[in-house]
Amino acid sequence: MTALVLDHVNVDFPIYGTQRSLRKILLQGATGGLVGRDQARSNRITIRALVDVSLDLQDGDRLGLVGHNGAGKSTLLKVMAGVYEPASGRVLTRGRITPLFETMPGLDPEDTGYENTITAGILFGMTRREIEAKVPEIEEFSELGEYFALPVRSYSTGMITRLGFAVATAIDPGILLMDEGIGAGDARFAERAAKRMEKFIGRSRILVLASHSEALIRSTCNKAALMKAGKILAVGGIDEIFKEYHQIIQ
Amino acid sequence: MSGRQDFVAGLRRWHVFARLGWFEVKRRYRRTIIGPLWGTLNLSVFILALGTVGGGLLNKTFSAYLPFVATGMIMWVFISTIVSESCSLFMSNHNLFRQMQFSYSTLAYALVWRNVIVLLHNLAAYFVIMLLFVPGLVTPWTLLAIPGLMLTAFNAVWIALLFGMVCLRFRDLQQLVTTILQIGMFITPVFWTPDSLGGIRHLVFVQLNPLYSLMEVVRAPLMGVPASAQVYITAIIIAIVGSSLTYAFFGYFRKRIPYWA
Repeated sequence: MTALVLDHVNVDFPIYGTQRSLRKILLQGATGGLVGRDQARSNRITIRALVDVSLDLQDGDRLGLVGHNGAGKSTLLKVMAGVYEPASGRVLTRGRITPLFETMPGLDPEDTGYENTITAGILFGMTRREIEAKVPEIEEFSELGEYFALPVRSYSTGMITRLGFAVATAIDPGILLMDEGIGAGDARFAERAAKRMEKFIGRSRILVLASHSEALIRSTCNKAALMKAGKILAVGGIDEIFKEYHQIIQ
Repeated sequence: MSGRQDFVAGLRRWHVFARLGWFEVKRRYRRTIIGPLWGTLNLSVFILALGTVGGGLLNKTFSAYLPFVATGMIMWVFISTIVSESCSLFMSNHNLFRQMQFSYSTLAYALVWRNVIVLLHNLAAYFVIMLLFVPGLVTPWTLLAIPGLMLTAFNAVWIALLFGMVCLRFRDLQQLVTTILQIGMFITPVFWTPDSLGGIRHLVFVQLNPLYSLMEVVRAPLMGVPASAQVYITAIIIAIVGSSLTYAFFGYFRKRIPYWA
C-alpha cells in the first residue's frame, strides 16, 4: 500500500536579511542579554508558508493543487518530497517518492548526455544497473542520436528538455510529485511526450500535481485541493474545487 | 531523517558520493591533456623553488629540506582545501538538496573523496621528487601514511559538515576562515621545522595546533618515520571531540539546513 499523510503540518520560513550576520547576534548578546535575545527571536521575521495542512492520500489518488501564485502549492510539494521538514506536524509516507520539479538533478553541462543520465538516475535513487538498463530507451526516446555521447553544453535548449524529460519519465515513480507539467519541446515531440507522460503517470500509485492549468488537472487528476495563503481551503471533486477557485478569483 | 540516519544513508549509498566526487575531478580533465595534474605540476615547481631557497635560508641541505617542504606542502594543500571548500559545502550544492530528500552527509563524503583523489595526484609529485633527489626516503614506516590518511579523512568529514552548516547560517565566517587559513600556512610547521620553536611558542603553534597534528600523521610516514605518539593522540582527540560536537550539532540543526540555504 502506498500512502501519503500530512497531519497538521506548519511550515515557517525565517527571513534572514540584516540579522543574518554574526555581528548582530554577538552584539545582541552583548547589549541585551538573555531578554534582548528572546525579544530578538520573537522579532525575527518569519513567513508562515503552510498553516495547519492535513491531507490523507491513498493508493490511486491523483490530487491537483489549485491556487494563486504564492498560495503554498510548491512549498507543500517540497514538504511532501522531504526537502523541508515541517516546523510542527507530521508527514508520513509509504512508498518511493519521486519529485519532479526541475527535470534533471545534478545536470552538468560539461558531462555527456549519457553521463548526466546515469548521475540523474543515481540521484533519483536507482542503482547503477537499474539506470543502465533504461539507457537504450532514454537514448531512443530523446532522439539525441550522436549527441548522446557529447557534452550537454553542445545541446540546444530543446535537446536538453528532451533528455530531461526522457530521464525523468523513465523511472518508476511510486508517489509522484509534480510542479506544473514537464515542458517537452517542439510540437512533434510534444505529441510523443504527452503519450509517454500519460504512461508515466499511470505507473505512479499516488500523484500530486500543482498547476495553473485547469485542463491539465482535469485530464490527469481525480480530486483537487484549493489552497490560499498557505491553507487548504477545501479538498474534493474537481468540478466543485474549480467552482470555488473561480469564485475566489472574482 | 535523523542525523544518525543521514550519516548511515550517505555511507550506504556510497556510489552517490563516489560519483559526485569523482566527476568533479574528471571535469578538470576535460579539454586538457593532464587536467588536475596541472595543479600537481604547479605544486612541484613551488616545492622545488622553495626547497632550494628555503634550504639556503634555514641552513639545511637540499636533500634534508626538500622532502620536508614537499610532504608539508602536499598535506597543507590537502587540509586547507578541505577546510575552505567546507565553508561553501551547502551553498554550492543547494540545487541537489532543494529538489528531493537528500542525505547531507553525502555532500561531505563527496568533498573528502574528491580531495583524496586530488591528493593522490599530488603524491605523484612526491614520488618523482623523491626518486630523483632523495632515494631511500621511503621505508616500511611509509605504510603508516595509509592509516594516517584515514584518520585525517575522518576528521575532514566532520570539518566539512560543521563548517558547512555554520558558514551557511553565518555568511561572514567564510571570509574569516579564509583569513585564518592564509595565516595558518605560516604559523603551522609547513616550511619551518617544529624543533625550531621553543617554549610557549612550540606549545601554541606546534603542539596545540590542530592543523599540525592532522598534517603530521601523514607527513611523518611519508618522510620515512612514524609520527610521534603525541601527534597521534592529538589527532585522535580532535577526531573524538570534533565528531561528537558535529554529531550533536548536525542532529539538532540538520532540518534547518534547507531553510538556511
